[in-house]
Amino acid sequence: MTIEELIALVPLLVVASISVILMLVVSFVRHHRLISLITLAGFIAAGIMVFQSMGQPAIQITPLIILDDFSRFFIVMTCFASVPAVLLAYDYLRRSEDLKEEYYMLLSLAVLGAVVLAASNHFASFFIGVELLSVSLFAMVGYMVHGEHKRVSTLEASIKYMILSGVSSSFLLFGVALIYLNFGVLTFEGIQQKILNGTLNGYGMMGIAMLLIGVGFKLSWVPFHMWTPDVYEGAPVPVTAFLATISKVIVFALGLRFLHESGALGLFNVQAALAFIGVLSMLVGNGLALMQDNLKRLLAYSSIAHFGYLIIALIAASSASATNKALAMEAVGFYLVAYVVTTWVAFGALSALSQPEHGIEAENLKDYRGLFWQRPWLAAIFSVALLSLAGVPLTAGFIAKFYVFAAGASYTLWFLLGILIISSAIGLYYYLKVIMEMCKPAEDENDFQKAAIPFENKLILLVMTAFVLYLGISPQALIESLNSAIKVLM
Amino acid sequence: MLNLLWLVPFFPFLGFVLLVSTSGKMPKPWTTMIGAGSIGLAALTTALIAYEFLSQDMTSFQLHLWTWMEAGNFAPGFSLYLDGLALSMLFVITGVGFLIHIYASGYMYDDEDFPRFFTYTNLFVAAMVMLVLADNLVLLFLGWEGVGLCSFLLIGFWYKDPANGLAARKAFVVTRVGDTAFAIGLFLLYKHVGTLDIQEAMIKAKLLWTEDNATASLICALLLGGAVGKSAQLPLQTWLPDAMAGPTPVSALIHAATMVTAGVYLIARNHELFLLSPDMMYAVAVVGVLTLLMSGFTALTQSDLKRVLAYSTISQIGYMFLALGVGAWSSAIFHLMTHAFFKALLFLTAGTIILSLHHEQNIFKMGGLVKRLPLPCILFFIGCLGLIAVPPTSGFWSKEQILNATWESSTGGPLIWLGAVLGAFMTALYTTRMFCIVFLGPSNGDVHEPKGFKFVAPLVVLAFLALVGGVFVETAWQLPLSNVFPGGHAPHPPTVIVVIAIATPFLGIAISYLFYGKRVFSAEKFANSALMKPLKTFFDSGWAMDWFYDLLLVKPYQWLAKINKKDCVNLLPDASSAAAKILHAALSMTQNGQLRLYVGVMGTAALFVIFVVVFL
Repeated sequence: MTIEELIALVPLLVVASISVILMLVVSFVRHHRLISLITLAGFIAAGIMVFQSMGQPAIQITPLIILDDFSRFFIVMTCFASVPAVLLAYDYLRRSEDLKEEYYMLLSLAVLGAVVLAASNHFASFFIGVELLSVSLFAMVGYMVHGEHKRVSTLEASIKYMILSGVSSSFLLFGVALIYLNFGVLTFEGIQQKILNGTLNGYGMMGIAMLLIGVGFKLSWVPFHMWTPDVYEGAPVPVTAFLATISKVIVFALGLRFLHESGALGLFNVQAALAFIGVLSMLVGNGLALMQDNLKRLLAYSSIAHFGYLIIALIAASSASATNKALAMEAVGFYLVAYVVTTWVAFGALSALSQPEHGIEAENLKDYRGLFWQRPWLAAIFSVALLSLAGVPLTAGFIAKFYVFAAGASYTLWFLLGILIISSAIGLYYYLKVIMEMCKPAEDENDFQKAAIPFENKLILLVMTAFVLYLGISPQALIESLNSAIKVLM
Repeated sequence: MLNLLWLVPFFPFLGFVLLVSTSGKMPKPWTTMIGAGSIGLAALTTALIAYEFLSQDMTSFQLHLWTWMEAGNFAPGFSLYLDGLALSMLFVITGVGFLIHIYASGYMYDDEDFPRFFTYTNLFVAAMVMLVLADNLVLLFLGWEGVGLCSFLLIGFWYKDPANGLAARKAFVVTRVGDTAFAIGLFLLYKHVGTLDIQEAMIKAKLLWTEDNATASLICALLLGGAVGKSAQLPLQTWLPDAMAGPTPVSALIHAATMVTAGVYLIARNHELFLLSPDMMYAVAVVGVLTLLMSGFTALTQSDLKRVLAYSTISQIGYMFLALGVGAWSSAIFHLMTHAFFKALLFLTAGTIILSLHHEQNIFKMGGLVKRLPLPCILFFIGCLGLIAVPPTSGFWSKEQILNATWESSTGGPLIWLGAVLGAFMTALYTTRMFCIVFLGPSNGDVHEPKGFKFVAPLVVLAFLALVGGVFVETAWQLPLSNVFPGGHAPHPPTVIVVIAIATPFLGIAISYLFYGKRVFSAEKFANSALMKPLKTFFDSGWAMDWFYDLLLVKPYQWLAKINKKDCVNLLPDASSAAAKILHAALSMTQNGQLRLYVGVMGTAALFVIFVVVFL
């Protein structure tokens, strides 16, 4: 390893060292704020360092890690999107009775997994990243099991997630083994050469199928989505938010890189399977959300649908024309960013009304009744998030959906686009239903809407809402930085 | 300095945001400061920009703020475009708008919804400025719709009276008819020229189409449809008289000085397109002349002070349309400006009178106000002079230009000219009638005149402008329109024609004075004679247009709605929502929380995916 490679690797090492430092600090002093500040500083420092190096040539560090603009883009996104995860968790833990400090170690390990995934172009680092992320998440989902006011569903969610994630990991690992059996290499680009040489056989195909299954589980694509609502509902809000944003987005980014660099995206059968999964995800996700009155489950179903929409852009990225391919990849990148910021707003609003000190979260639709009259600002911000999820103009969600649509149209995926339109129409209903509930006159005393919102939570809401609107009104800046990020894949 | 152009729409918009976000909890003086101050700052910015723009003799200035989104050729941007036309409009919107806001801060002060009033008017000014400065048609449409929305909100400002809500709804629905035509026109234009940028579209249109092209005519017809809706011209004028349900400053701001001129602006902005279609130019002129005649007759029979003024607005905008139709573009804008002065003056003075008489609007219950309200009387008199176009008030100069151009233009001619002169005669008739009934004759009821700077200063400024604004523009300082519109020699019709045009209003004044001032002839007897009575009823109802629309559109529509209570068109959406519910119910059963089912589904699905990938 040369000194340049080492320097390039520093941000990853910073993220990795957070958990070590935290462990050392905790053994001397248990200080919640200090611990959270260290975590925060680590994420921000790593994010800034990688951001600074954007635009530099790609560096391959050992066969496992690649630092090009694509991975840098997603590392920056991971690091900055983890900041609200820390803030929200700080606020949530401060008010709950559980142990606090260890949570940040799990969080920093999960983020490390995400960063490794973003920078991976080899199956070994792929698998390490996925497992780092998932294993930390098992513990995070079931973290708050102590205290008088613990939520019973937490442990159940954790165990469900662990078992099902284990099943999916075994698919993933078996897939990797089959691919090695066929090709004898584990790098993405190596596979592409082998496919071009015509060495692809049934084992390799089966390996790719099993990878799709493993990735599909993490992204809760239908029909591997069964865990999603239960885990979303059971996990504490900050964990659900992390699960919904970073863990999914990074796996999708990696999926794009793998399918694209290995050339598997060009295979007709893979596209057929993706289309099949996409149609199901869009319809089932929105269909399940339709009459849902638990907001965490509703957001779970909505995320299923959103990753279904993304499949359209993913398939379109196999286009032979360079412009159409760039359009599709931009669509993926924009959609992921828009989805992350919007989801943070939604969960920020959810958390603002939750009362962890009593083991209660504001997850029922009726908790929101009349919110607009009690807390106009919060209701307005939540409405922005819901409208963005529904894809209404002047929000980030609209531009994102427009992009996906344009990408799909350029690849003439008319059937999938038809499903997109139908399912978006269904989706509009349940997003607007929440807004309508907030606008109804308040019934009786509602404790949820009384409590003061902590500063950290307000900060997240304001900054992320500003992003949602900014991206919706003036998306050009993000599009330009995306352009350079996808250039390395072209 | 010119780069600060964005501040002009920004200040009112900021005012709107501040007012709406404090939701009326601010102290009233602050509300006034923000509400009227934002318009004042916009006016100040306009003045500074105008100084630089004019002193450098610029033709146009474009300020690109940002591109909203780029997808192929479709790249609507947030760009502002300033030229002489836009600048002239800005003077009216921010200048006259500011004066009206000052007045409104006094007039509306005791209203319980005082902040809401300024919230709407600030949004209105922002939208109107956006409309005028828009560089592309998408942005223009945004301003267009924003203006319509604010008009709706302000007509129904006193929403507790259902009649006001109905008037607001009527205005919204009727203008919507025009807006739809406008939108279709935009789509059509985009389809053919492939750009939304207004200037570029005009250049491309000239290359693409020759004169009398059918497509160009169709687009012009659709744009005209939008313009007549917004500007309350035949056949979509029925909403404006009802719009008087709003507070009087609103009538002055929106339904006299600014919004209703949007249609005039639209046609002037797209004049190069209209030049390609002489037929449509002729249509514009005919619409203008018919409207001005019709509303002139109607104004003569009204008994509500604000409705008289409303019909006179329709009629004066008819003159602007006439000017556009005969190609006298600058005259149309000139008249737009002078009309803004004297009509705002008339409406605001009418507001003072109405307030003095405890919200009495019926002119027959006024009378003899000349002694009791001397200052409003003088101001109203000046406004009336402007409206009648008595030389040398501002209205005279602009109207004379229009009449002269009409005589000479190829799309005008003697017949149209005759109509316009008859209209001028009618104007003199109904204006003198209104003035005599309100101010002369026996006194009626007690008077309580609102006093104070806010009630007087704006009126005095407007009166000054209404008096000398025209002569100033005519002699000392031209409107910066020569770079915008195709130049032509000034029209010089025969002297006798000019004399007739100037003399006719005096004849009108004289006749009307004999009827209503001196009462040499009895107006009642004349109106109640067997011949005139049905005519009067006919005119009074606005030529029975409401009745006609009711019969032709509203009734059949309601009948259709009644027999189609179950709504057969809705069956498909209903069925799809039922299907979605069934889908939801079926899918919900799978989410039973049992791990064994989840793993089972996953395993089966895995088999399926493997089958698709490997064996398909």
